[in-house]
Amino acid sequence: MRTALEIVDNVPEGVGMQRTSGESRIRFHVRDGAARLDRLYQQGAAKIRLPRPEPGRPPEAVLINTAGGLTGGDTMAFEVEVADGAHAVVTTQACEKIYKSSSGPAQVASRLSVGAHARLDWLPQETILFNRARLSRRLEADLADGATLLALEAVVFGRIAMGEVVASGSFHERWRIRRNGRLVFADDTRIDGSVADIASHPAVLAGGRAVATVVYVAENAEDYLERAREAVGESGGVTAFDGKLVARIISMDTLSLRRALVPLLAVLADGAPLPKVWHI
Amino acid sequence: MVTAIRTPEPRRDDRPAPEAMVEPLTPERLLKLQTWLSPGFPIGAFSYSHGLEWAIETGTVTDPEALGGWIGELLRRGSARNDAILFAETWRAAAGRNADALREVGELAESLATSRERHLETMAQGTAFLKAVTAAWSTPTIETFAGAHSNRAAYPVAVALATASHAIPLAHSLPAYLHAFVANLVSVAVRLVPLGQTNGLRVVSALTPLVLETARAAEKLTLDDLGSATVRSELFSIQHETQYSRIFRT
Repeated sequence: MRTALEIVDNVPEGVGMQRTSGESRIRFHVRDGAARLDRLYQQGAAKIRLPRPEPGRPPEAVLINTAGGLTGGDTMAFEVEVADGAHAVVTTQACEKIYKSSSGPAQVASRLSVGAHARLDWLPQETILFNRARLSRRLEADLADGATLLALEAVVFGRIAMGEVVASGSFHERWRIRRNGRLVFADDTRIDGSVADIASHPAVLAGGRAVATVVYVAENAEDYLERAREAVGESGGVTAFDGKLVARIISMDTLSLRRALVPLLAVLADGAPLPKVWHI
Repeated sequence: MVTAIRTPEPRRDDRPAPEAMVEPLTPERLLKLQTWLSPGFPIGAFSYSHGLEWAIETGTVTDPEALGGWIGELLRRGSARNDAILFAETWRAAAGRNADALREVGELAESLATSRERHLETMAQGTAFLKAVTAAWSTPTIETFAGAHSNRAAYPVAVALATASHAIPLAHSLPAYLHAFVANLVSVAVRLVPLGQTNGLRVVSALTPLVLETARAAEKLTLDDLGSATVRSELFSIQHETQYSRIFRT
């Protein structure tokens, strides 16, 4: 079924559209011996749903974009804080869709903060780019001593099964992760212009459409290397050094991406069940 | 060696160091550049393939055309373009004696090497390079940097620091750096594919315009412009870690 914004893809340029903007902030802390919601703020199209956690499981926050997608000039901002000793899981209700832009890029900024000996699992679903989409997304994370961060960012450049081709557009993704103020992981992906042509190059994606980057920053990150390699199989690769593990996966579509991603996330979550949206 | 014996006067940190004033490329400066970027300079460049060994092993790079395409994409929108941006930023920061900017670019250059082998490749070569220039071509700028950075540096940062500090213009040092990167990867393919010396030289020659264009563009870019599209080259550098039989360290 096509959503309203997908149909808008065919609207002639110059037709005015209202900009979408949203900002949500959430904080978890430990109270009565368990991680719980401390504060929640939401404004505009960025909403947060908090399903009742299973007994003994960390709280889960589900990010929702009530606008149903983003286009040029739209802005979304998420801020997640996990206080000392707490553990929380954050995911998204749906795959974020980025539609044709006739102006600047849609901007998505996420700021994560993980306290001492706390843990955050940041597991948004894939973002789907449509033809002529422009997206700039940033993920900034600050970790304290003994903090653990499991973070995923995934993108699909047009769904093959739907016959979508991203002939042109732009995609910028910036990661910056710091521990005690010191930069420990930085990554910048930038695909600008004739996206499908560029992606066909053997050094880029060799025609692949779906890309995931998974970063696990923890004092014992290297201990997961062998099991993580087995989990991703041949469509990806896993490396680990200096207290971090990094996995990259390139696939033809969302389904094959998830076949590698879900087992990998299961390893890095120590066998804890993934959010329901990740069940394949 | 004029610069090495000059006694530095006390000066504000933001004023260009005398040895970094932009001056023409004199024969003396050219010789330094040639020495530092020679394949024989003791940083072990010959032992790093930047993941190309895995690209050859898997049949992705099998001939001169595929090799030129692979390296060309690294220059156009991959790791070599990023290194060019880091080089230019370092050069300007070193020329301006901006310790904060040097710290930022140094930290970023190390953190952007997100696989174990990319990290090894840039930090081992950069640190060896810094050690060599500290020993034989030292300047106050190089000494100060080495002291503030535990004698470690990413490779583009180390070379840019040395060239800025010896007043070798960015317009010459940056393309020379990129050319050395290209020549090193071509020599990997000449040995591994194997390609043959003449074919290798043709690839180097054909990529020269792109080397110059990448360097010229990077001179005007900043850290905000960083960004690579060559995800598969990054992935190959990771997959090289588990390559069963291999000659290169990366």
